[in-house]
Amino acid sequence: MADLALKSIHKSYGSVEVIKGIDLDIGHGEFVVFVGPSGCGKSTLLRMIAGLEEITSGELYIGEKLCNNMEPRDRGIAMVFQSYALYPHMSVYDNVGFGLKLAKAPKEERDRKIREAARILQMEHLLERRPSQLSGGQRQRVAIGRAIVREPEVFLFDEPLSNLDAALRVDMRMELSKLHQQLGATMIYVTHDQVEAMTLADKIVVLNNGEVQQTGAPIDLYKNPANLFVAGFIGSPKMNLSPVIAGEVSGSRIALGGEGLEQLSYAFDGHRQKPGDRLTLGIRPHALKISETGPVKGKVDLVERLGNETIINFRLGNGEQWLAVVDGDAPIGRGGAVAFSVAESDIMLFDENGENVRCLVSAVDGEI
Amino acid sequence: MMAMSSSATASNAPLTKRQRTSPYPTWFFLPAAIIYGVLFLFPTFSSIYFSLTRWTLFDSTFIGLDNFAQFFREPFLIQGVINTIIFALVTCTLKVVFGLGLAVLLTSDIRMRALLRSIVFFPVLVSAVGVGIAFTAMMHPTRGIINIALDLVGISGPGWLTNPALAIYSVALVEVWRGVGLATVIFIAGIMSIPQDYYEAARIDGASAWERFCYITLPLSRPATVTVIILSFIHGLRNFELVWAMTRGGPGFASDVLASVIYKQYQAGFYGLSTAGNVVLFVLIALMAIPLYIYLNRREGHQ
Ligand SMILES: Nc1ncnc2c1ncn2[C@@H]1O[C@H](COP(=O)(O)OP(=O)(O)O)[C@@H](O)[C@H]1O
Ligand SMILES: [Mg+2]
Repeated sequence: MADLALKSIHKSYGSVEVIKGIDLDIGHGEFVVFVGPSGCGKSTLLRMIAGLEEITSGELYIGEKLCNNMEPRDRGIAMVFQSYALYPHMSVYDNVGFGLKLAKAPKEERDRKIREAARILQMEHLLERRPSQLSGGQRQRVAIGRAIVREPEVFLFDEPLSNLDAALRVDMRMELSKLHQQLGATMIYVTHDQVEAMTLADKIVVLNNGEVQQTGAPIDLYKNPANLFVAGFIGSPKMNLSPVIAGEVSGSRIALGGEGLEQLSYAFDGHRQKPGDRLTLGIRPHALKISETGPVKGKVDLVERLGNETIINFRLGNGEQWLAVVDGDAPIGRGGAVAFSVAESDIMLFDENGENVRCLVSAVDGEI
Repeated sequence: MMAMSSSATASNAPLTKRQRTSPYPTWFFLPAAIIYGVLFLFPTFSSIYFSLTRWTLFDSTFIGLDNFAQFFREPFLIQGVINTIIFALVTCTLKVVFGLGLAVLLTSDIRMRALLRSIVFFPVLVSAVGVGIAFTAMMHPTRGIINIALDLVGISGPGWLTNPALAIYSVALVEVWRGVGLATVIFIAGIMSIPQDYYEAARIDGASAWERFCYITLPLSRPATVTVIILSFIHGLRNFELVWAMTRGGPGFASDVLASVIYKQYQAGFYGLSTAGNVVLFVLIALMAIPLYIYLNRREGHQ
């Protein structure tokens, strides 16, 4: 176990800057997930931590040691690749034991560790096979086994589940969680799948364009996205977003303009919003409750009944498509009018720069 | 997927792997078959026939195995066979060693990689005779540039082509110089087809550059190695142009290889005899190359 500190890490390929200054602290035994759209620099960042990619500028500490110029093998890390990267000409046994063999570990110790890893991952019966004789899920296990025997302080995973089918992915996700509890090691996990991030992470780091958008516990990111990007990225189905214009002020409330949203108002921080400001309104599909007198009105386009819940696609007065997720047996028909209410705590507003207004407010007030 | 689409178009009968390998109609292979028949099968079988005749190009009389009997009585045949095998082994080994070394160098992150690759490949484009003549001049015992250069550093160079014990090795070295480019190109292709992930995984597992070469590059470029070994071994066994251009089998018969022995009989007008020699050479190559090929490919079932 070790903690990591990234201080102003930059990475450029030629003149193209792909990682634009990342500061991050990762604690002992934490399960941290880097999440972001494809191409945002997640892998690059992970590979810099692994030592496979040079750090253009900034400092990387693993434990107490400055690791910028340290060889991967000296960093106390192990990595699981998206492709698994199992050596095709070696048996599973040799694949798992390769690192120990290179480290000149005595044969008995090697054997003991390989069998111990195989036991943890329930793959004792696979040890004599070659990677080409394994299924995707089994290869995944071997790749993890190869990481385990190194007894690393930090595990690095680069989209390890993306080559598996959906059902297997859910299983492996749970196993990874269990493994984390069992080993207690620090784990850094890269994915573009926000569901994976939400389910696995102690701490999520949302990246976009080589910059950290927000860091926090999954539930914080869900409830309090720092900006439009995080709001749109975290949560499934996606948050409904619509442009609105701040309207009349009455007391400490501000009305929000926008067709179909006329009756919404919002408690605001007087220093920041004024009538006429262009804002973006965000409401999660799960926050909308059917209510005949509710302020969010629209026309139903499509009703998807999943049994336990129903997804309603509806159109606001201004033609924008929104989603609502309601009870499975909600009496809603296609083509009809529908109205929803929403708790004030579930309304989010983002200013012209995409920053969450409430976050700004809370930054001023020191509370949410 | 493939099974589904082809069984939809063909029949409902269970299809074996063999039956569904080709998506093309059978007559597609006719042009290739005709070319192969005219240029390979016909000459091969007619030469087997002519090797059993006394042949003057215009008419031939059947004499059974007499040509073969006479060929095996040829006084310098044993020397020729030994030289042929020495030549094949030396050139094959050195091409593998240097080819692999150069390929590793030329797939690493060095400057002017593309230019260096062309330079290494360039000798392959020059004709063997041209190369032979140039090196004969350079290997002249007193006026050749090689021995002049050796003189400058105080070494008196040997008679590269005039020393009977050395001649065949000198020719072999020139063949290595000429052919290593092709071996390098094959190795480069083999090394570049190894996914980068394996090297990265090995680095994380703690492998040094040398260990990565031994445990990743070497085993995973095995298909390329097999290709280079087979190609250069067969090429070495058949070698003629270079020996002929450089030594004509001399001094004396010291650097004669099978092909040059055969050519001398042909020059002397013994066409049937030289054809019999060619059949022997063909059988010899087959006897050595096929088991070698099987041996080298024996463990390739699993990727
Ligand atoms: N070796 C490289 N040379 C140049 N650009 C690269 C290289 N590797 C990655 N990039 C660029 O860096 C950006 C981030 O890549 P990556 O970290 O792989 O993204 P992610 O893993 O988030 O999908 C991409 O825009 C990619 O094109
Ligand atoms: Mg990636």
